[in-house]
Amino acid sequence: MKKKMISALLVAAMVITTITGCGNAATTTSNDSAEATTAESGEKILKTAASFAYASLDVHKDYYGWYTSIYGVSEALFKMNENSEAVPCLAEDATVDGNVWTITIKKEAAFANGTNLTADMVKRNLERVAEVNERFAFVDDFTIDVVDDKTLTITTQEAYPTLKNDLASPEFGMIDLDATTDFDNDPICTGPFVMKEFNPEGDVTVARNDNYWGKDVYLDGAVFYYMQDDDTKLMAMQSGEIDCYNSVSSAAMEIYNADPDTYNVVSIPGARLQFYILNENRLDASVREAINLTVDKDAVASYLSGTVSAAVGPFGTNTAYGKVTGPVVDTAKAVELIEADGYTKGADGFYEKDGQKLTVNICYYAARSLDTIALLMQEQLKAVGIDSTLTCEEDPDATYLTTGDFDIALYCMIADKCGDPLYFINSTIASDAVYNVGGFKSDEAQAMVEELRGEQDTARRAELANKIVQIAIDDNAFGYVGLFNNTTVLRKGVSGFAENVPFDFYGIDANTRME
Amino acid sequence: MKRTVKRVLELIVILMILSFFTFLLMYLAPGDPAEKRLVSQGVVVTKEVLDAERERLGLMKPFFIRYGEWLFGVCRGDFGVSFKDDMPVGPKLLAGLANTLQLAGASMLLSLLISIPLSIVAAFRKNSIADHIIKLFAFLGNSLPNFLISVILMYFFCIHTKLFPIIATGSLQGLLLPALSLSIPISGRFLRQMRQEFLMQISQDYITGMCNRGVKRRYIVGNVLYNSTAHVLNIVALQVGSLMTGSVVIETIFRWPGIGKLVMDSITARDYPVIMGFVLVMGTVYVVINQLVDVCMGCLDPRIRMESEGHHDKA
Repeated sequence: MKKKMISALLVAAMVITTITGCGNAATTTSNDSAEATTAESGEKILKTAASFAYASLDVHKDYYGWYTSIYGVSEALFKMNENSEAVPCLAEDATVDGNVWTITIKKEAAFANGTNLTADMVKRNLERVAEVNERFAFVDDFTIDVVDDKTLTITTQEAYPTLKNDLASPEFGMIDLDATTDFDNDPICTGPFVMKEFNPEGDVTVARNDNYWGKDVYLDGAVFYYMQDDDTKLMAMQSGEIDCYNSVSSAAMEIYNADPDTYNVVSIPGARLQFYILNENRLDASVREAINLTVDKDAVASYLSGTVSAAVGPFGTNTAYGKVTGPVVDTAKAVELIEADGYTKGADGFYEKDGQKLTVNICYYAARSLDTIALLMQEQLKAVGIDSTLTCEEDPDATYLTTGDFDIALYCMIADKCGDPLYFINSTIASDAVYNVGGFKSDEAQAMVEELRGEQDTARRAELANKIVQIAIDDNAFGYVGLFNNTTVLRKGVSGFAENVPFDFYGIDANTRME
Repeated sequence: MKRTVKRVLELIVILMILSFFTFLLMYLAPGDPAEKRLVSQGVVVTKEVLDAERERLGLMKPFFIRYGEWLFGVCRGDFGVSFKDDMPVGPKLLAGLANTLQLAGASMLLSLLISIPLSIVAAFRKNSIADHIIKLFAFLGNSLPNFLISVILMYFFCIHTKLFPIIATGSLQGLLLPALSLSIPISGRFLRQMRQEFLMQISQDYITGMCNRGVKRRYIVGNVLYNSTAHVLNIVALQVGSLMTGSVVIETIFRWPGIGKLVMDSITARDYPVIMGFVLVMGTVYVVINQLVDVCMGCLDPRIRMESEGHHDKA
């Protein structure tokens, strides 16, 4: 009996070793042969890591369109360029006359199955987006008319100056609604790549669309490995198993920067903003100003080692609507303001008034480096004599942003969704904004918000946006700390992985190359 | 038969209580699945959009209606659809569970292969150099965090020696490193506990008698192993439960799509149907493992079975 047990254990050990050994050999052989095939046939297959993976490829639902766009499978009528402008993609042009937009579709635009993209198909796509995606339900209020095979008009109830930008959202990617039978796994779209293998919430493989309506597609295909861990991505890059990826961590960036012969690191300010809301219902104007004069954004950006750029306003300074001026760090003036407001320094080094210590409650959630920012702010405020407590919540929307129980509320969101300032202003500064929870109110700003909502002229829109944001900054209603950098690492010879576009929803396209 | 029916009924009652309190806790906890879903990429939505999504997901209904609907669905074998992506919960859980089962099985096997021989050596050569080295290994295994073990293994096997690729999910090769990462801390715990048990057996009179009679070492080892089986089974059973809940860190680092990561993502997204499904599955797993261990213990040690039956008779 005992002999049998020992023998069984030994046999099990041998079997495991053998199987593992064989498995290793088999897999290695398989990998090697895949590489060999690639090399022999000269196929250019880009391998990259994706931080997110979804269960569906239905372009119109949720945010899945972001990923079909990243995979190079779907395209919208317009796309955002490096300067945050909506430029034609499937559409030839869009003109507006009052409430009526006329959109012309490119003659050559076609789906991967060769079917031409018609105005009727565009209309039905827009209607489907409104039907299946709650965020775009407003499209249902539009009247869409097909003028001819390649022209359609969209009539909005009120002037809708940002329609072109909205139509650049990847959720408006076009699907051949007649030919597609499986929207979740194999939508037929217009992009330079077609789906080859889709593992829901896993890896994705795409192949070149041989019927692509646009120019030549350089790559033969690409593989998107679902990989969330930064260390895993770094090691996969070092071992040569992937060729590029974005959202590079600061630790990994240092390693890549140390080897410029092998890696090319591209970092540009993105559209995701870290900011804080100052509660006007609780903090005096002088204290709010003192806080804004104390928080050192450059120090924060420096501490975060290249993952963010110090922000002046909510938008990148390269945009026409990002021309505002923010407070410059001046701790002496901050102290002066606090003292002029009747505060005196107590024995513990913190200011107090009427026996009450000046203590601010900084609320934050531990994501997007906001926890680090909260700590840095606490230290910086302490240096000028403002005491602070840190309150960490798991869900800011359900807690401090809903209750208003904060002095300083840290938050992170996409500020520039589609190359226009209205979305952010509507979300944070307008009187009915979801995140105007700190009591900011300005009739002058609100009047300009109303004007911005209907203004068609781009230059005037930028001017209005700059004025509105400047009022909020001057009122010390907010503090714009940093814009997350879109950092991409590419192996030498790889390019065109949307590394110069500040939006998160682009990846490979016809221009993506690997030497 | 009667006992089996009783145990099944007990399981149902446990699951009912468990599901009710889990549902209640999620209902009371802050967080809104609709909001989590709509703003998952950092895009803000209006209150109207949010309310429409809440309505669609059925979040506006009263607590008992929601719980009742969920329970009714489960009784019909329908775990509902995920709040995160509208996909059916059942297949999601099954896929995660199957992957976790593979990883847990491989980790347990590796752990036993490492810990049983080493703890025998440590126990039979108490206070020798080998014993000290094994104790040090057990100490390190227990102390090192999972993520560190994973990264060290990955660096050594994938970067330094290039024996394994980083991207190898789905193959035996892909299974070995995560299984090893999980099994090192488990082996650390097993080594300490098994060594202690073997030492206890070695100190028994029957072993002293065997030694005095000059019985060969391998027979003594066999006897020690056999008589320790019940205790070892208990240790293993306790570990199986925690292994089956998955390991978020290991699954994330090694891209292993197990149930641990699935449920952690679901908690973050307030994906109530998936969390509820997980709780039911794990509740069942724990109860079934306990019952199986009870049965095995009874088979291995008739005293336990008789004690248990006697207790029941008295009851």
